[in-house]
Amino acid sequence: MTELQAERATETLTTPRDDAASKGWRYLDVLIALAAFAVLASLPFLSSSKALLDFVIRCSAYGLFATSLNLLVGYTGLTSFGHGMFFGLGAYSFGLIMQRTGASIPLAFVATLAITAIVATVIGAICVRLKEIYFAFVTLAFQMLIYSTILSWPSFTGGDQGLRGGIPRPVFIGIDLSNHVQLYLFSCALLVLGLLAMRQIVQSPFGYTLRMIRDNAKRAAFIGIHVWRAKLAIFVMAALFAAIGGMVMALFVSGAYPEFAYWTISGEGIFINMLGGVTTFLGPMVGTVLLLILNDTVTRFTDYHGIVLGIVILFFALGLRKGLMDFVVDWAKQRREKGGSA
Amino acid sequence: MLEIRGLSKSFGGVRATDNVTLDFADGSLTAVIGPNGAGKSTFFNLITGAFRPDSGKILLDGYDLAGSAPAEIVRHGIGRAFQVASVFPSLTVEETMLAAVGADQRRAGVLHRRFPLPEMRDRAEHAMELLGLAGKRNRVASTLSHGDQKLLDIALALVLDPKVLLLDEPTAGMGPEERWRMIDKVRELWDTQKITVVFIEHDMDIVFKIAPEIVVLCYGRILASGTPAAIRSNAAVIEAYLGTEHAGGSA
Amino acid sequence: MDLDALAGCLASSACLVTQTTSGLIIGMLLFLVAVGLTLIFGVLKVVNFTHGAFYMFGAYFAMTSYQATGSFVLAIVCGAAGTAILGLIFERVFMSRVYGANVLMQLLVCYAFVLIFDDVVRLVWGPEFKSMGMPAAFQVMPLFIAGGVVPPYYLLLIGVALAAAIVLGVGLARTRLGKVIRAAADNPGMVSALGINTGALYGAVFALGCMLAGLAGALAAPVRSLTPGMGFSVLIESFIVTVIGGMGSISGALIGALLLGLIRSFGSQGFPLFTDGLMYLFMVIVLVARPTGLFGKEVA
Repeated sequence: MTELQAERATETLTTPRDDAASKGWRYLDVLIALAAFAVLASLPFLSSSKALLDFVIRCSAYGLFATSLNLLVGYTGLTSFGHGMFFGLGAYSFGLIMQRTGASIPLAFVATLAITAIVATVIGAICVRLKEIYFAFVTLAFQMLIYSTILSWPSFTGGDQGLRGGIPRPVFIGIDLSNHVQLYLFSCALLVLGLLAMRQIVQSPFGYTLRMIRDNAKRAAFIGIHVWRAKLAIFVMAALFAAIGGMVMALFVSGAYPEFAYWTISGEGIFINMLGGVTTFLGPMVGTVLLLILNDTVTRFTDYHGIVLGIVILFFALGLRKGLMDFVVDWAKQRREKGGSA
Repeated sequence: MLEIRGLSKSFGGVRATDNVTLDFADGSLTAVIGPNGAGKSTFFNLITGAFRPDSGKILLDGYDLAGSAPAEIVRHGIGRAFQVASVFPSLTVEETMLAAVGADQRRAGVLHRRFPLPEMRDRAEHAMELLGLAGKRNRVASTLSHGDQKLLDIALALVLDPKVLLLDEPTAGMGPEERWRMIDKVRELWDTQKITVVFIEHDMDIVFKIAPEIVVLCYGRILASGTPAAIRSNAAVIEAYLGTEHAGGSA
Repeated sequence: MDLDALAGCLASSACLVTQTTSGLIIGMLLFLVAVGLTLIFGVLKVVNFTHGAFYMFGAYFAMTSYQATGSFVLAIVCGAAGTAILGLIFERVFMSRVYGANVLMQLLVCYAFVLIFDDVVRLVWGPEFKSMGMPAAFQVMPLFIAGGVVPPYYLLLIGVALAAAIVLGVGLARTRLGKVIRAAADNPGMVSALGINTGALYGAVFALGCMLAGLAGALAAPVRSLTPGMGFSVLIESFIVTVIGGMGSISGALIGALLLGLIRSFGSQGFPLFTDGLMYLFMVIVLVARPTGLFGKEVA
């Protein structure tokens, strides 16, 4: 028996416990989350602007979506062009369940996640086998298929008009989502909790398995990792968080529109990730805020926001060549190194 | 014990591996040599599941691994290091070891705890020390020197306690001094870990100095196998590969 | 879903002819666009997400030229040449910077230009739907074949597209430039090692691809309405064609385009709301069975 094998035998006798350092990081993340929520929660009391609250709600929806996309793109190396399908699926499933059944919001929430999980498992099982650019194409194809189905089934989905008639909001555990401030707080809570959960995934051993797959999938297989299974698992998990983003959007607009499943949502997800940066956890969040501000500002000043948006994207793509947070992190690292050698 | 029986593989019309039958005794150290294109890497690829053999058996302690997926073969106990170091560029040395050491399925999929799992630290530490990488633990793998990346590559092969360790040209791309250091490390590993080691090598000085057993492959077939002395004096081997520089003489 | 209508159409020779011709022109136009896309991918290894914009420019250039000169032939030439030049400039100044980068970066640069190009068209020509109108030479009675209606312009369209396909095929197979292009597709490093100016080659291939898209747009101008953003649906469809046929395969693009054209025209009989969906369903089925497309090569 080798020394390593002998050690392995004794290992089962010790009880696995997170050591102090790991615990420390977890508490830090929770603390940051609580602080962020506190700041967000205070906004309605500091400002009477409905537009500001609306902006944050939209950031919550898109932020959840974009961060979930980064689980695939940044952490696993899976470039999906069709991730928006789960955003749309979440919005429509939630909207339809609320409109057609008498379900409570929590029940509809859980049911939507269940539906998304099933669809994502089927689609993922087909797609994750494929290499890179082909994975991207097939995910896009599935998204457009879902979009076409939504459009061509007006009796069920409202066709190109979308779900109309609003989404009923029965009160649950004292929360009344027809109240704007309560909807706002609910969205912020979902955002913070969703980000915390994704943070845990990314910093868990599974998260490092994903990084290994991203860096060198072939080698990962050669050290015993079941690559296909891991990819499918993260595909489904990312889909769930995208669906939550879709649900927030559905509540916000009180309906669901085919645009939520159109490929431009996937495209915006990718741009948000490139804008904010894929190597940091909060990069997508930064990108979300940037893109939404950009969209809102530009449309206010000019009809030709395509040109402005295009130029901004070129600045990041050809100029900075990396997302904002990536740029910041690299710049900070360079400064530290320069300072150290001075 | 690793037993290869009638292993064959063709690509298009070319027989890359031609009916190879071979035994590797427990704890043995064997060098696989042969001219370029002899099928040495293909042989490793077949054993580790990168390619599917057309026919033949790969028996590890009696269990036939032929046709299994690479992840399965690794779990059964065959580890492989690559000719061009194959590591995870964005992870540090320490992160690489901690992540790889827990790579059996239960650990690779753990979601509810934070990385690194404390119970993995000892084994990761041990592996780093074995390969002399402990001092470079916080270096990102892509910034390591070529030689250190090869060491990390070997560490990744060792990480699941393999019964058999396959090293594909461990000294590739190294200057003469570094080469001896690397091969000394390989020998030291073999001595202390008591595992079966098979390595592909081109430098004949090293091969004849270090390896108790040598296998010569040519055109996918075994030309000869045995002790260095036997190989040196084998006429077919001399003709096909060695020339007269290393022929004959004392071991 | 209207399967009776579909069955009825298949049973009637008039409908069969009309829909088949319709499918053929959709297919041939798509083929021209798709073959440009697949050529660019095959040689430059880059997916040109701006391809639809060149289709759009081809149409607008042709329309403006026809309105200025009244010559249909000149309109077609302007459409094709204009997009070739535009494509060359775009490739040399912008695309060449992102050849080595990952797909996302290329996608981003292309998407930025799609946004810019669409707005430029809106600025110059206005956002309303415009039409070029059928050139005087073709304002004649349609042909009646087996009871089906076939506008003569359709025949011209199919003819020109087919001619372009043949010229392309022969050119690639027989001429020296064609051989260099095919070599570059297989082994770019070797080609540059042989002393061939890869920059000029890439520019030429990209311009050729864009020209084909522009030609398609110019040919389509008399029978389609022009609007900024008309490039998008063409892009998606030519994308589907290229992926179904196999990236880098010209025969694949032809087969894929014709199949898609026929699916569209007959599909609109049976599935009026789900016609697009049929295409995507077809794409999913093909890709699941053969990820590299019907005629695609395995990417290393």
